[in-house]
Amino acid sequence: MSEKLAEHLAGAPSGSSQPDKFAVRKLEFYYGDFHALTDITVGIQRHAVTAFIGPSGCGKSTFLRTLNRMNDLIPGTRVEGSVMLDRQDVYAAGIDPVDLRRRVGMIFQQPNPFPMSIYENVAYGPKLHGVKKKADLDEVVEKSLQRANLWKEVKDILGRGGLTLSGGQQQRLCIARVLAVEPEVLLMDEPCSAIDPTSVQKVEDLMAELKDRITIVIVTHNMQQAARVSDYTAFFLQEKVNEAAELIEFDRTATLFTSPKDRRTEDYITGRFG
Amino acid sequence: MRENFRQELRDLKAEVLLIGRLVVDQTADGVKALVEGDLDLAERVIAADDDIDRRTLAVEEHSLEVIATQFPVARDLRLLHSLTYISMHLERMGDLALNTAKAARRTAGRRGPQTLYDLIQAQGNLVHRVLEATLEALEKNDLELARKLPELDEPIDHLFKQFFRELARLQAEDDIEWASQMVLAARYLERIADNAVDIGERLQYLLTGTFEPIEHQQEAKPSSDANSGAGGQ
Repeated sequence: MSEKLAEHLAGAPSGSSQPDKFAVRKLEFYYGDFHALTDITVGIQRHAVTAFIGPSGCGKSTFLRTLNRMNDLIPGTRVEGSVMLDRQDVYAAGIDPVDLRRRVGMIFQQPNPFPMSIYENVAYGPKLHGVKKKADLDEVVEKSLQRANLWKEVKDILGRGGLTLSGGQQQRLCIARVLAVEPEVLLMDEPCSAIDPTSVQKVEDLMAELKDRITIVIVTHNMQQAARVSDYTAFFLQEKVNEAAELIEFDRTATLFTSPKDRRTEDYITGRFG
Repeated sequence: MRENFRQELRDLKAEVLLIGRLVVDQTADGVKALVEGDLDLAERVIAADDDIDRRTLAVEEHSLEVIATQFPVARDLRLLHSLTYISMHLERMGDLALNTAKAARRTAGRRGPQTLYDLIQAQGNLVHRVLEATLEALEKNDLELARKLPELDEPIDHLFKQFFRELARLQAEDDIEWASQMVLAARYLERIADNAVDIGERLQYLLTGTFEPIEHQQEAKPSSDANSGAGGQ
């Protein structure tokens, strides 16, 4: 019997009993004078896929970037509240943002391979972190490309430039590049918006395989994708222009897409607005 | 696109309500045929069941198409799923009405004690009330009314027990086969109402999104003693 069916037979489907990977509490976020996010409190489940959905401008990508302090790179931004990664505040003094971003890797909408070979793209991070031996690098390159479901397609052309690959292959190369430094969390910001349907399928399959070992958070405009790939879904909404966006609802994906509790979630996912 | 989709949902619901109306008519006609010994009416009820079956299948096929093409979620998904579930229950209720008409066919030309006719008619009236309430709850998304269905079903279960007490009073010269058909018909009617209560539970899910604890009425058992059926007397 399938695990999910067994859960239903046993009563209410249960979540993981493990502590959350991220525990975000009363987060406020500002771009200069603009209050972008308010009162975000949410737990991101370990070894699960969590999807952030909501209309454009609802702050979901902004919130994603607070998890690995990518917003620090934008001048004038400010964060209040706490973002705990394994019970450690990522905004605490003494946290090295570069090390944080190794632990919490990121994939963007547009594939952004470095202008170097496929091999070097993947070996870049491990080299930066001190792996020097050719054999070790070979191993990490092969393993990362395999985990990114790209190895079979590129194993004979590793010396070719990363930018010569198709868009979907480039995106998987970027995933391999992130995986090469053994991240604990993968943040994906619209990772499938710019790639072909076959590659979308491969990236989605990949997420299901990777979540055994890492925690995945994905921002997506595609609600069917959120429903397909995620275990938990968070719905964000900016109700009025120039007002801070909020987290409206967070639940198991299956629950949120069958019986959302908030009318605004219901209206959004059924296409009544947004 | 979305407006087309909404129209499809409205059309499907209208079709399920129409099936419901057909079942109401079939049930009433089945009872009438039985009580009045109207063989022509019984044959018409039997013939009309095919239409309900055909419509139910069409609802299921159309629902599947809409699910496959429109990716419904939340209340839209619950509505589509519930409409299929409800139409299949209605189809089953139509079959039970058909069985009542078959009982009329089998008892054509024979008469028995008036008490049993009166009981069948009374039960038919109570079942009619449950069916009307069920369709109204579906049509108007009336959660309160859906939750009242078990209460409306209760006297039907009690009345059903009374059939057995009446059966026990039959004399040797009474037509036992005729009486058995009457009790079977009473059972069909009681099952129609039970299916309506199931539809009410499904309406609760449709309207609230949660499967609430099911408060089933205790099954009417032929072996129940006379005291337990006090409410129906």
